[in-house]
Amino acid sequence: MKNFPDREYLQALLGSFLEASRSVPCVGLAGTRYLAQRLGLTECETMQGLLHQDIWPKRFLRNRDSFCAEAQARLLGSRVLVAGCGGLGGHLTGLLARLGVGAFVLCDYDVFDESNLNRQLFCTEKTVGLPKVEVCRDRLMEIASYLDVRIFPGRLDSGNLEDLLKGTDACADCLDSVSGKQMLKAAADRVGVPYLHGAVDRHEGLAYCSGGGGQPTSSLYAAQTAGDGESAAAHVLTVAGTAVLMASLLLRDVLAITATGQTREQHLFHLDVSLPELERFVMEQDMR
Amino acid sequence: MSIEIRLSTTLRDIVPGYEPEKGLRAELAPGEENVSAALLAARIGIPDAQIKIIMVNGRQSKRETVVRDGDRVAYFPAVGGG
Repeated sequence: MKNFPDREYLQALLGSFLEASRSVPCVGLAGTRYLAQRLGLTECETMQGLLHQDIWPKRFLRNRDSFCAEAQARLLGSRVLVAGCGGLGGHLTGLLARLGVGAFVLCDYDVFDESNLNRQLFCTEKTVGLPKVEVCRDRLMEIASYLDVRIFPGRLDSGNLEDLLKGTDACADCLDSVSGKQMLKAAADRVGVPYLHGAVDRHEGLAYCSGGGGQPTSSLYAAQTAGDGESAAAHVLTVAGTAVLMASLLLRDVLAITATGQTREQHLFHLDVSLPELERFVMEQDMR
Repeated sequence: MSIEIRLSTTLRDIVPGYEPEKGLRAELAPGEENVSAALLAARIGIPDAQIKIIMVNGRQSKRETVVRDGDRVAYFPAVGGG
């Protein structure tokens, strides 16, 4: 980051805002906001700058044993489109916001229904009847007020998706139809954005990532998958578990935070919470 | 010749008494060869149109993939919930 103060100057600027937790230099909310104002940067940019100097925002301190500072900064600089803010999307956005993803494009045309209470994180008795994207945005901003969140409350189609995907680092498929998922995958391929697939039915969830880490894209289904019959709804364990898998794949395959750096096969993860069991399958590139 | 079969979501409803923990075992006749994954599914009553993903021994496979003694085959329908 250009013109971000070096560590010595930061120590002078921050003064008592600079703390140490288990010998790790860190800065809390007040200090971050003070520094952002002094430097004329956004809070997110400021946190990235601090991390580049190996000074940890307190909110991410407990990530430190899992990610290095550069990885945490990379998360803050990432933008994810989440298509569908209901079951999978609600849990996934909450996870990603806490991990440190800095920007979102949230897409959902629907409002919360009472039947969503069993599994959709942001559906509460107070939010029934309210637009999902607005509630999702508001709840995420309560977790992380520095977030850059764009909402799209309309129906997604091939046309508007390409514009929405521009500038994103990944798209998360939390839609609730096979046809919608195929449309999103096709748009992601056209724009060249890594695609995170999530799908749930009863006790089972599927997750995979395509196009991440420069890998070619692969699909679960052949181009024509007839019949968009209504999927049986899943319960919260399936939804939450599958969202965790999608978030893990973002870290591993898109942002290369948990990757080993070796060439990886693309994997489909199958979760069955009734057993419980998690299986990993190898996906092939051309299944026509 | 014994093949382990696992079914996912709606496909489990098609086979009466299917237990997810155990799956199914398909026995083929001695000497029977060139049994495809598609044919195997048909033999246990799974309509071909409902099978969208086939995994043989942990790898995504095509309908024509020949299955052999000791293989583990998993069938998935289209899963679209979110």
